[in-house]
Amino acid sequence: MAAKGGAAPATYSPSPTTFKKKRPPIFTDVDWVRPDGRDFHQCRPAFLRTGAVNAASGSAYAEFGNTKVIVSIFGPRESKKAMMYSDTGRLNCNVTYTTFATPVRGQASSDNKEISSQLHKSLEGAIMLDTFPKTTVDVFALVLESGGCDLPVVISCASLALADAGIMMFDLVAAVSVSCLGKNLVIDPVSEEENYQDGSLMITCLPSRNEVTQLTITGEWSSPKIHEAMELCLDACSKLGKIMRSCLKESASTSQE
Amino acid sequence: MEVDRADGRAPNQRRPVACTRGILHRAHGSASWAQGDTKVIAAVYGPKAGTRKNENPEKACIEIIWKPKTGQSGKPEREYEMVMKKTLQSICLLNVHPNTTTSIVIQVVNDDGALLPCAINAACAALVDAGTPLKHLAIAICCCMSENGQILLDPSKIEEQKVKSFVYLVFPNSIASVLPEGSLKSEGEIMEHGILTSVTHGVMTVDDYFSCLKLGRPAAAELSDFIRNNLKLKPGNDSSKAA
Amino acid sequence: MVGSANGATDLSSEMEVDAFRRLFPLRFHERHLLESVRPDARSLGKARETSLALGAVASADGSALAKIGCTTMLAAIKMEVMTPSKEAPDEGCVAIDFHMPPICSPIVRPGRPAEAAPVVSKHSGMIDLKELSLVSGKAAWMAYLDIYCLDADGALFDAALLAAAAAFSHLQIPVVSLNDDGRIVVVSKENGEKAKNKPVNEEKRKLKLRSIPFALTCILHKNYILADPTAEEESIMDTLITIVLDTSCQLVSLYKPGGPALAYESVLQDCIALSRQRVKELQKILNEAILDMDVD
Repeated sequence: MAAKGGAAPATYSPSPTTFKKKRPPIFTDVDWVRPDGRDFHQCRPAFLRTGAVNAASGSAYAEFGNTKVIVSIFGPRESKKAMMYSDTGRLNCNVTYTTFATPVRGQASSDNKEISSQLHKSLEGAIMLDTFPKTTVDVFALVLESGGCDLPVVISCASLALADAGIMMFDLVAAVSVSCLGKNLVIDPVSEEENYQDGSLMITCLPSRNEVTQLTITGEWSSPKIHEAMELCLDACSKLGKIMRSCLKESASTSQE
Repeated sequence: MEVDRADGRAPNQRRPVACTRGILHRAHGSASWAQGDTKVIAAVYGPKAGTRKNENPEKACIEIIWKPKTGQSGKPEREYEMVMKKTLQSICLLNVHPNTTTSIVIQVVNDDGALLPCAINAACAALVDAGTPLKHLAIAICCCMSENGQILLDPSKIEEQKVKSFVYLVFPNSIASVLPEGSLKSEGEIMEHGILTSVTHGVMTVDDYFSCLKLGRPAAAELSDFIRNNLKLKPGNDSSKAA
Repeated sequence: MVGSANGATDLSSEMEVDAFRRLFPLRFHERHLLESVRPDARSLGKARETSLALGAVASADGSALAKIGCTTMLAAIKMEVMTPSKEAPDEGCVAIDFHMPPICSPIVRPGRPAEAAPVVSKHSGMIDLKELSLVSGKAAWMAYLDIYCLDADGALFDAALLAAAAAFSHLQIPVVSLNDDGRIVVVSKENGEKAKNKPVNEEKRKLKLRSIPFALTCILHKNYILADPTAEEESIMDTLITIVLDTSCQLVSLYKPGGPALAYESVLQDCIALSRQRVKELQKILNEAILDMDVD
């Protein structure tokens, strides 16, 4: 039996998700329930752990509901030969998706560049780049499963991994996003909610310094809505920051034993 | 015991082998190797300055470029390239030209079974033709297990598709040396009994594997003599080239 | 060479262990081998601790996470429907991809054991492709198996094969039916009342695996055989031999791509004996993982 890998026959997924692209009417209702039964302003439980990959200089694993992400840090190491001399360090970010991250196989591999550059932008401001001149720190993320809010999870996980690698930072970076669905604001949306959203807002911030490194707004928003969403995000970020901090403390105390 | 092979060979009989060196003028070394209807041309370019990324610059690097007869190279071709690279790396003296790359281009002319062994033999002859420093030669052969448990040597394409499993074996050839015989033995094992490379396809019993080994060894020794005699001839002086 | 080696011996008493390990890696390992022990305190023939978790990926039809020491592999299978080829109208297909994402290793060497991985599971006869058939000549399953290396610390092929075998034993084939347009659709619980479209594969939810292959990679170095090497050992002593045996101890693959050390018959016998032992260990681990799964 020859492997038919080369000329793969056309296949399709038998799952019926492709058929119902209609927006369910419940979203306009006031008293609908979120797919996972959360309150509108309630985040998914976060599971964070550092030191997931042994081969890396620092790494972290994050699981927010169905969103599962691994981030590895390599370096600071020699920059690519083609790079010019620079007296500050460089940050190189790359996000990849597994082929089974999405319900339909291999769907989410198109816009990695966009996500990678967003990750770069939100981390850049928090890292003390002048502590490792002439060298590069590589931040590689792999989204094992995409369950909504991928980018914020990747960013939070990456900053945790950077801390694990001992890269100097002003503060941890916590990221949270909010979706606007009709009249409602929904924090930490799952992918189903993200598909039907009218607009989204993501804040990445340094919780203890109360500084924002990136703010992304897409879709249709009114000013009071934006205010409300920002308040919501910043509040959640500071809480997430605390969880991340305690995770680091925990791993530090276990490694000392 | 007798199995009717389509071409009337005995189970342990190889197909006729032909080797011609120096067939390409622009390459630093070249050779064509034919076993029956399987024919491969190998060309060696280099050593060129510098190594690829992720290679050890303190040693010479060997690069294999496999060109299939038709179409583009896919997964099996990449696997061939990798096996050949590892095999040839272990027969070359890599410390002689550190931080250089030697490219070996393999062009498949016709595939009629035992393609990889044929390519390894061709590459070996081409390396000699290019004057690349080698520890010893590598002799590659193919054995296969037919459904009724018979072991066939050097199968053709049709036989390869019919059998349940086959083995590619690469042995080092014996070194004709002025040193006393014992010095080439390590731990009482004769060097050309050691396997340089082994690649198997399909399920077989462990015993079958060792019977393949037993059958392969004398065949490799024969080939080894052939290639040694062939290398003594001057390139271009070869009778098969004139024909 | 001899001079520097002797120098290293002299230095070893004065130098810090870590510095010695970095400067004279080969010497460092050979000193250990003399004492029949390895830097991680294993004996030469012993494999690292191995663990398996089935069903690690919720979005896949079958998945498994295998860990051998620090080497971590995640395998997931997604089932899709295809039209079978004319030559084999009642056979499905298995497509295997091996990925080394940049997260797994500081030096990603893409496609290293990738080529070897598909060869084995194809020819080992682990899966009867006929079982992947749905409607003869019309529809069959295409099983996409993707193996991701999450952490590379040697013996990648062994871990990849273990993860793949475990993912196939975990695989739950979705119940599907043929709809009116001739497409295959998953029968979900809500539209189960559509009785006219009968499920086509109600009793074929699990694949029957004939015999499961397990691999053991060994390093040959001088007279030593080191089972289940770490990445550090692989980079220093570079003759690798991978033996794949299935549960009935048939040889599925014996793969030795070159290397400075030659494999003599006695060495091969020793390696095969080690693999036999390892097959038993791995089989036990796989069975336990499957049992754990059934209990949950």
